Amino acid sequence: MEKVNFRTQVLTRHLLNNDHRGTAATAGISTSPCLSYTPPEISSKPFPFDVNSMRKLMDGHNIEDRDWLFNLMIQSNLFNPKLRGGKIFVVPDYNQSMEQQREITMKRIQYLLDHGVFERWLTGKGFDAEMRKLALLEVIEIFDHSLAIKIGVHFFLWGGAILFFGTKRHHDKWLKASEDYHIKGCFAMTELGHGSNVRGIETITTYDSKTEEFVINTPCESAQKYWIGGAANHATHTVVFSQLNIDGNNQGVHAFITQIRDADGNICPNIRIADCGHKIGLNGVDNGRIWFDNVRIPRENLLNSVADVSADGKYLSAIKDPDQRFGAFMAPLTSGRVTIALSAIYSTKISLAIAIRYSLTRRAFSITPNGDEVLLLDYPSHQRRLLPLLAKTYAMTFAGNYLKLLYVKRTPQLIKTLHVVSSALKAILTWHNMRTLQECREACGGQGLKTENRIGQLKGEFDVQSTFEGDNNVLMQQVSKAMLAEYVAAKRRNKPFKDLGLEHMNKSCPVIPSRLTNSTLRSAQFQIDIFCLRERDLLNRFAIEVSENQAQGESKESAFIVGYQLAEDLGRAYSDRLILQTFIEAENNVTDTPLKEMLGLIRSMYVLVSLDEDVAFLRYGYLTVEAAATVRKEIVKLCAEIRPHALSLVSSFGIPDAFLSPIAFDWVAANSWSN
Amino acid sequence: MASLKDSSDDHVLVEVKSSLRKLTLNRPKQLNVITFAMGSRVLDIFAECAKDSSVKLIIIKGKGRAFCAGGDVAAVLRDISQGNWRSGEVIYRKAYTVNYVIATYIKPLVSIVNGLVMGGGASAAIYGTFQVVTENTLFAMPETALGSFPDLGASYYLSRLPGFFGEYLGLTGARLDGAEMFACGLATHFVPSEKLSLLEEALENVDSSDPFVISSTISKFSEVPNLTEKSAYNRLNTINKCFSQRTVEEIVAALEKEAVDNKEDWISFSIKSLKKASPTSLKITLRSIREGRLQGIGQCFVREFRMICHVLQGETSNDFYEGCRAILLDKDRKPKSPLVNKEERKFVVAANTRHLTSNKGHEKSLGGFKIQFNKLLIILLL
Repeated sequence: MEKVNFRTQVLTRHLLNNDHRGTAATAGISTSPCLSYTPPEISSKPFPFDVNSMRKLMDGHNIEDRDWLFNLMIQSNLFNPKLRGGKIFVVPDYNQSMEQQREITMKRIQYLLDHGVFERWLTGKGFDAEMRKLALLEVIEIFDHSLAIKIGVHFFLWGGAILFFGTKRHHDKWLKASEDYHIKGCFAMTELGHGSNVRGIETITTYDSKTEEFVINTPCESAQKYWIGGAANHATHTVVFSQLNIDGNNQGVHAFITQIRDADGNICPNIRIADCGHKIGLNGVDNGRIWFDNVRIPRENLLNSVADVSADGKYLSAIKDPDQRFGAFMAPLTSGRVTIALSAIYSTKISLAIAIRYSLTRRAFSITPNGDEVLLLDYPSHQRRLLPLLAKTYAMTFAGNYLKLLYVKRTPQLIKTLHVVSSALKAILTWHNMRTLQECREACGGQGLKTENRIGQLKGEFDVQSTFEGDNNVLMQQVSKAMLAEYVAAKRRNKPFKDLGLEHMNKSCPVIPSRLTNSTLRSAQFQIDIFCLRERDLLNRFAIEVSENQAQGESKESAFIVGYQLAEDLGRAYSDRLILQTFIEAENNVTDTPLKEMLGLIRSMYVLVSLDEDVAFLRYGYLTVEAAATVRKEIVKLCAEIRPHALSLVSSFGIPDAFLSPIAFDWVAANSWSN
Repeated sequence: MASLKDSSDDHVLVEVKSSLRKLTLNRPKQLNVITFAMGSRVLDIFAECAKDSSVKLIIIKGKGRAFCAGGDVAAVLRDISQGNWRSGEVIYRKAYTVNYVIATYIKPLVSIVNGLVMGGGASAAIYGTFQVVTENTLFAMPETALGSFPDLGASYYLSRLPGFFGEYLGLTGARLDGAEMFACGLATHFVPSEKLSLLEEALENVDSSDPFVISSTISKFSEVPNLTEKSAYNRLNTINKCFSQRTVEEIVAALEKEAVDNKEDWISFSIKSLKKASPTSLKITLRSIREGRLQGIGQCFVREFRMICHVLQGETSNDFYEGCRAILLDKDRKPKSPLVNKEERKFVVAANTRHLTSNKGHEKSLGGFKIQFNKLLIILLL
């Protein structure tokens, strides 16, 4: 009976609309009789810190360039502006056919080109040019992943290959032409039979000294080039990765420039191209397959920074070791991993900004008979779903910024670090993105299913990130492999660790207090200690396991493969510690008190949630069962403390309203009959 | 205070016609420039009408040959010259509040703009639900020539015009006639002035707050005007190409490049205006419009208010004082040196404009302002 009364009261209130939200104004005007939208800005407290400063801290650089590009996109009809609920949104129309999406993506590139967005992307040298390019790519990524990938393939893979593998003659001939899109490049590395294992590719190139030409062949179906972005419709040129066979000796993988279409878009002789077809996302990118049938290219088209072939057919290379030569070839792929990691974070930000804004305006169920229905984000369970992901996104933003600087300021000495850091962060950040997208999609309920609300669509668009430029699992194995190598090297020579941030292994093992108080849990010292403890212990265990396996007669490789369980834990431990370190570093550079305090809360949330989620802490006893329970309680408290700042925290992402979605704003108006 | 209110009563006339309220700005000799007292009076009227459920529609118009030529800059200048920028802040605060209320008002507003509309006066007209313009309408944003920037929410609506037309209007101070306002979306209806009295009569009888009903009532008197062949709006492609550039310097360079082959008046006019205007103002204006495009209406108002306070203080230059003095007060049209575009100043200016849009050092006034907005919004929206 009580339930019936309660229900009646709720219904009556809805019908009469006499709750405090609706009293004053509704008489005489025809707003909705049931619910009205209240902007979260009104129900939230004033921002406790300067949102612009926080945005500057996170975006890090080229803020005005970013805003300029947002402006350019919003003002062009090519970016599909749609008026919903009194606001303009620019989101690609994902209901277009694959072919339409590909054509509009190319037109958008032309528009950006005409407005000077790509100026100095390939011809510019130095720190500023590089940072501007990365900033603008991040902005493009916020609009559409397809657009960013198509641009990324052309500039970072094709352009990067010429820049890094080529020499002056290639730079002079191709860089400016590529920057102006007189030619459109693609990057033919992956084959049907070989993806992450590039050294195993089967395409074969031989040299004909009579005509001074290379001859490229696809010897079998598994050697067909696969997933080549740009190849299906638009690219005129490609960098082909192929085994180079000189006088019967295989010299390993080399890169060659080959024209695949003429200026009118006709496919060149001896080239066959087929489409990869419709995909679960990224349909604006024309992925294709390529076969080479005795394709002849001039000798000069070998990208010869690492190795060359003389006119009379002699193989010449300064790097004698084929392993090192291969390593030199792989260097440009780092840029891909860097941009992927960075864009994953922006996708995460879009989904969190939308889901959190929605949760600050959407109500569900009353918990008292005459009370308002409760805002989604006022449910502790909803806070626990979204706020930890928000904290992780902040933490990973700082890690991403660290990675970006490491990449831009790279030196030959830092190549190994860059490889390990980019592998780890690419994997961790893209996994975090997919997880966040799913959680945010669910947090938006049915509204999350509409493509105009972006989040659901982003799942398909960004899923590929865990695969391209190195499968995430393979990359994480490389991280633990590199750590093991570092460990073995240090132990064998009996020298201190000095790389990969493992210097903490030189100190004595950190001691975790048996009783964890609230202030201990929130102290940076405890937080870094517990992450370091996990990392060093796992590395020790891993090294022991691998050497035990080897002692039982396993080869080094198979001993490593068998130890995959510890390897996975170790890779995660390394990444978490790295992320936390970059966070603390960023925090230390902040002088503004309110900002610093906010960051402290977020850092604690990031660490405690990691402690709560990674079962390794309990499995190996870094935390006692009691301590784990204390951590869990503290997370609830942190959720409640961060809750009032949720709006300011997502506003600090700096993503303009137009790039979010209707449910992030007045979703009642956006769905009204007249809309 | 009482005497102030009395005079302002004459300056803002209110007619009650059943469910319609007709509000007339009545300082025709001063082109209906809005004083502090008038602002208070308008605010009171709007608050009353919001609460009064019998009011369904409000008309705003101006008496004489202007709708409204903006705010009372002369009063602000007097205070600045006496070293008192704070009282300028008070005047602007009132103006911002009035315009924000108009922009977020819950009942439909029809602005009838049958004459001059400039600067801050434009916001009052444009933020209504419907804007009726006529063959007598003349619109301009002259702020950059005066050492200020288009404010009172201008960065919101200018940035939402097609392409980069908003940058063009805000930076050059170009004038628009009624037909152009209609074409670019600054006006919803074009009604020949001879039909205005019939229109007002018809609106007296609509007795509805339904925007569709009101719109179709106005449409009975409206027509689609022809743009003159020379209208800059017909050159939107060229405008987009030049005014989409990232900086003022690049915009000027793009226009100069265009001028080599293109002898149309609007180009030479634009170049001339940009060279004559305060370089600081141009930088601030461009940045304000660009940020406004990425922000909501409330954010635009808060940011612009913060910016105008910096300008009043003369932190980056005293162009505002000099510009207004030379053009509005003394009318010698010769601002002293700083308004001249000098190469070496560009860099200083670029550095200085950056902090204008940040709220550092203005936390206090912002905080109070925002709370006031929120309260108003709650009162008026709900």
